Amino acid sequence: MSVIETSGLTMSYGARRGIQDVSLQIEAGEIFGFLGPNGAGKSTTIRILMGLLRASAGRACIFGMDCWKSGALIRRDVGYVAGDVRLYPWLTLNRGLKILSQIHGRSLQSEGRQLAERFRLEPDLSVRKMSRGNRQKVALVLALATRPWLLILDEPTSGLDPLIQDTLMVCLRDLAAEGRTILFSSHTLSEVESLCDRIAMIRGGSIVEYDSLTSLKARAPRRIQILLAPDQVPPAEWPDGVRVLWQPQQSGGQPSTQRDLLSIPPGLLSQTCLLEVTGQSSEFLKWIAGQEFADVTIGAPSLDILFRGCYADDEDENREAPAGDGTAIDTSAQSGAVT
Amino acid sequence: MRGLLSKIVAEVLWPVLWFCLGLFVIMGLLTALLPKVLGNIHEVFDNMPLVKPLITALLGVDPGNQISAQLSQAFLWTHPTLLTLLWAHELMYCSRMPAGEIDRGTADFLLCQPVTRVQIFLAESIGWLVSGAVILSCGCAGHLLASGFVHPEMRLPFRSALLVLGNLAAVYLAVGGLAFLLSACSDRRGRAVGIVFAVLLLSFLLNFLAQFQEWAKSISWLSIMEYYRPAIVIQSGLFPTSDVQTLLGLAAFSWTTALVVFHRRSICTV
Repeated sequence: MSVIETSGLTMSYGARRGIQDVSLQIEAGEIFGFLGPNGAGKSTTIRILMGLLRASAGRACIFGMDCWKSGALIRRDVGYVAGDVRLYPWLTLNRGLKILSQIHGRSLQSEGRQLAERFRLEPDLSVRKMSRGNRQKVALVLALATRPWLLILDEPTSGLDPLIQDTLMVCLRDLAAEGRTILFSSHTLSEVESLCDRIAMIRGGSIVEYDSLTSLKARAPRRIQILLAPDQVPPAEWPDGVRVLWQPQQSGGQPSTQRDLLSIPPGLLSQTCLLEVTGQSSEFLKWIAGQEFADVTIGAPSLDILFRGCYADDEDENREAPAGDGTAIDTSAQSGAVT
Repeated sequence: MRGLLSKIVAEVLWPVLWFCLGLFVIMGLLTALLPKVLGNIHEVFDNMPLVKPLITALLGVDPGNQISAQLSQAFLWTHPTLLTLLWAHELMYCSRMPAGEIDRGTADFLLCQPVTRVQIFLAESIGWLVSGAVILSCGCAGHLLASGFVHPEMRLPFRSALLVLGNLAAVYLAVGGLAFLLSACSDRRGRAVGIVFAVLLLSFLLNFLAQFQEWAKSISWLSIMEYYRPAIVIQSGLFPTSDVQTLLGLAAFSWTTALVVFHRRSICTV
């Protein structure tokens, strides 16, 4: 039995977009990444799972029970941190632990105290006197103190400093090692990449990617930066499977986004080719071995590129080629083709 | 349920204590001072003709040119300060959940605990009933304490005070039930409070207009104040059973509907 199972989950806020046909299956002991830009539908899906919203169609179950009908029972074993944490101004960590202990019918004080030390949190400071980061820590400690079998975290690292973010990651890995399940929602790919086993990407309310991190990485493109020798011209033809993002002194070239060029030092723009290779790169490596370039840099498969590709329409970026001796090739619709 | 009650106590303890103190002081002062002030009311009636219909609207009976001892004590129980304090507490308390929780974004924290919405609503209702009982008792205590300093002829018999208090408690329940209902239907606390406030204001206005206008008189049964007439209760010495039944009916309907709405609705804090 899956810990979380949704099928055909649909919900709309009147005219506003909600989610459409979201189907997920998350198993016990898994750290599942739920990725998407702001407003994509991550929080709506989570709110349905937490029994706050009622889906207009489809089914959402946790531990095999319906999230709307058996919400209170399910939540006995679920810890939740909302995306935009708001707590009562009068609440202190100790008071929160006391109230939650009464609700859960067992003492959470000792677990809470240990977590407070780990997260460097003053247990008697009221929320109204806390910074945003500390409020986030209170919410995390209160969610973790119950030692839930399922932890649902909606952008939990926002407002946390890097050290506390690391502490949280360690905590989450420890919990997963104990067989506890974590649904980790974020719009920051790097933290999901470093933590999760599988991920789902949501865009415009629909799931657009749903796979293991390993499979996604196998599909992710590599960035290759070629530095030409002085007076060398780029090859007239590139091998199959190579997507040219930028090359100098040739008509028709255009970087897929302005950001692609940020990795090239401005002084080297007229000598640099920027390529993208997806899948097996052995053929390309053989080809490149026969060339006489000044330098070649091959990057690791980047989920970031895949991720941004999924959200291309949501990005508001300048697609104009820079002034100077750059060239323009529109490659956005011809992934993997030589242009 | 204990955890929910602890949360409610942490949230409303100080405001409730302030309301208790306020009502205690106000009722004491009014009990001691009103007989003296109202002794010369005929002069006020002569100089300001609008005051008489206003007092008639508040009391529910025409006081004539002189206000008797009994009517002066009835005026105490309909004094705007008493009603304002009581209703301010109710509007503050009953609009907290769910409208207030949604408004300030804390609904996520509360509703994601392992408790049902029915349990949350019942805990809130217990707090509402207990705080109302404590506040009304403090007001009554202030009145009884100050009665010791009033001329014996001007004192309201304890039994009459209890009858009026029972009627006032029914008003408290009706207004609170309405506030719960509007809070359950709304995502904005200000909107819920505003509508209840408007209903109360219209009730006063309708009662006032009913003194002069036939059309207003014909629909005055819509006003909550129509079912709270301490002067008649004090004069007759009888418990206003039908008025209290009407108010309790309104309270029960509003409260039950609020519970059903809160139980069934989607809650969105974004």
